Amino acid sequence: MHLVRDVLDKKLMDREDCPMGRVGGLVMHVGESGPPRVTHILVGGPTLWMRIHPALGRLSSALGQMWGPRRKEPAKIPWSRVETVGREVKLDVEGKDTGALDWEIWVARHIIEHIPGGGSEEEE
Amino acid sequence: MKKILQLSLGIITSVGGFLEIGSVTTAAQAGAQFGYKLLWAILLGTLCLIFLIEMSGRLAAVSKHTIVDAIRERFGFPFFFFVLLGTVLVAFMVLVAELGGIGFALQILTGIRFPWWALPVSFVVWLLMWKGTFSLIENGASLLGLVTVSFVVAALRLNPDWTSAASGLLPTLPDDDKSKYWFLAVSILGASISPYLTFFYSSGAIEDKWDRTYLPINRVIAAFGMTFGGLLSMAVLIVAALALRPKGIQVETFQQAALMMTTALPKWGFYLFALSMLFACFGAALEISLAISYFFSQGFGWNWSEDVEPSSDARFAFVYTLIIGFAAVPLMFGVDPIKITMMSMALTSATLPLAIVPFLFLMNDPIYLGKHRNGWISNTVVGVVILISFVLAVVSIPLEIMGG
Repeated sequence: MHLVRDVLDKKLMDREDCPMGRVGGLVMHVGESGPPRVTHILVGGPTLWMRIHPALGRLSSALGQMWGPRRKEPAKIPWSRVETVGREVKLDVEGKDTGALDWEIWVARHIIEHIPGGGSEEEE
Repeated sequence: MKKILQLSLGIITSVGGFLEIGSVTTAAQAGAQFGYKLLWAILLGTLCLIFLIEMSGRLAAVSKHTIVDAIRERFGFPFFFFVLLGTVLVAFMVLVAELGGIGFALQILTGIRFPWWALPVSFVVWLLMWKGTFSLIENGASLLGLVTVSFVVAALRLNPDWTSAASGLLPTLPDDDKSKYWFLAVSILGASISPYLTFFYSSGAIEDKWDRTYLPINRVIAAFGMTFGGLLSMAVLIVAALALRPKGIQVETFQQAALMMTTALPKWGFYLFALSMLFACFGAALEISLAISYFFSQGFGWNWSEDVEPSSDARFAFVYTLIIGFAAVPLMFGVDPIKITMMSMALTSATLPLAIVPFLFLMNDPIYLGKHRNGWISNTVVGVVILISFVLAVVSIPLEIMGG
C-alpha cells in the first residue's frame, strides 16, 4: 500500500457507511527499533491548512477555538480502527464519537435546524 | 425500458438545460455585431463539451468517483484547494449573472426593475434547493427550459441563407474591431465549455447510481444532448444576425436582446424571449448552486445529496444557502448582469485549464478507469480546445478591459 496514493485524501466511512470527511493527515511513530508505523489518521481543518502553509494551519486552529465546536485537538482516529482501504477508507467507529463530524453537527444544530423545513439532525 | 426512458430524459434535460444567460448573451452579441462569423466558436465549444460530458459520465460510471472526488484524491489537498478557489469564484460570478438574467426577464414581463427582483428570485431558487429533490431540479427546470426551442423556430422563420451561415463554421478574421471579435470568441467558448456542467453531470451520475452498463447511454446523451444544445446557441446567433444586425442594434442591454425575437414572431417574440430567459436562467441558477455545493462537499468528504433533509447534510445545505444569499447582494445594488455575464464567460475560458487539465490526467489514469481510459481522440480534442480558449482568453481579456 502507498500511503500517499492509497490513503491520504481518501474518503472516510464509519461503520454505518456515513461519510466522515477525508484523510487529512497521518501520524507515524518512528521508534528506536523496528520500522516506522502509522498510528493515527487526522481529520479536520488545521491539518489540511498546514499542508498548504504552517501559518494557515495555526490560523485555522486559532479560529477553530473561537468559533463553532471549539475543539482543542484535531480529530484523531487510531489506525487500528481501519477495516479496509479501497475506494474509501472504512473504519470500525461511530463517526459522531470521533470528533470528525463535530462541524457537521454544529452547523446542523446551530444553523440548519433553525430554518423551517431543515429537519432535525437527532432523527438520524 | 427504464434505460430508454432515462436516455430520452437525459437528452431532453441536456437540451432544455443548455441555454443560459451566458450562451444567449454571447451568441446574441456575436450575431448582432459580426453576423455568422463567430458560429465556429459555438461549434468548437460544443464539440469540446460533448467530449467533456462523456468523460465525466464515464469517470462516474466506471470509477464511482465524481470529478471533484477524484481530483482531491489523486492530486492532494493543496492542489485541490487552488482548483476549488478558481472554479468556485468564476462559478459564483456566473450564478450572479443567472440570477440577474431571471431578474431581467421579470423586468421585461412586469416593468419592475431587476434589483427589486434580486431577493425574491434568490429566495425561490434557495427554497427549491431546500425542499426539492435532485430529479425535480434536473428534470423540472430542464423541461421548462424547452421553451428555448423557440429560438430555433424564430431562426427558421427568418429564412437564413444557409450557405453563408455554413461558411461561419470556419474561422475567418473580421474586417474591423478585432479585439471585440476575439473577446466574443473567448466568451462563447467559456459559455459553451462551462466546467460546472461537468461537475453537475458527474454528481448526477453518482446520485443516479450509474455503473458500466450506462456507458452507451452516457455516450448518446453527451453526443445528442450537447449537439442539440449547441444548435440552440447557433439559432440564437442566427436570429441576432438576421434581426438585430441589419438594424444596427448591438446587444448592450437586455431590452435590446429581447427585440431579436420580434422580427420573426411579432406577436409573441418579446414574451417568448422573456420566458425563455426566465426558465433557462432559473435552471442554470439551480444547477450552478448545486454544482458549487457538490464541489465543497465532495472535496472535503462531507455527506452530500440533494435527496435528503438539509439537516442530514448540513454543511452541503449551508454552502448553497450562503452562496445564493451572497449572489443576491451585487444585484440588489444594481450591478449590470450583462457586464458580469461577459466577464465571467471570458474568465471561465481563462480558468479552464485549472479544472480540465487535471481532469484529463485522471481520464488517462488506469487506477480510475482501467480499460475505459481516454483514447487519443478525446485527449487531443479537449486538449487543443482548452489550449485555444486559454491562449485567446489571456490575450483578449486585457485588450477588452483596456478598450472598454
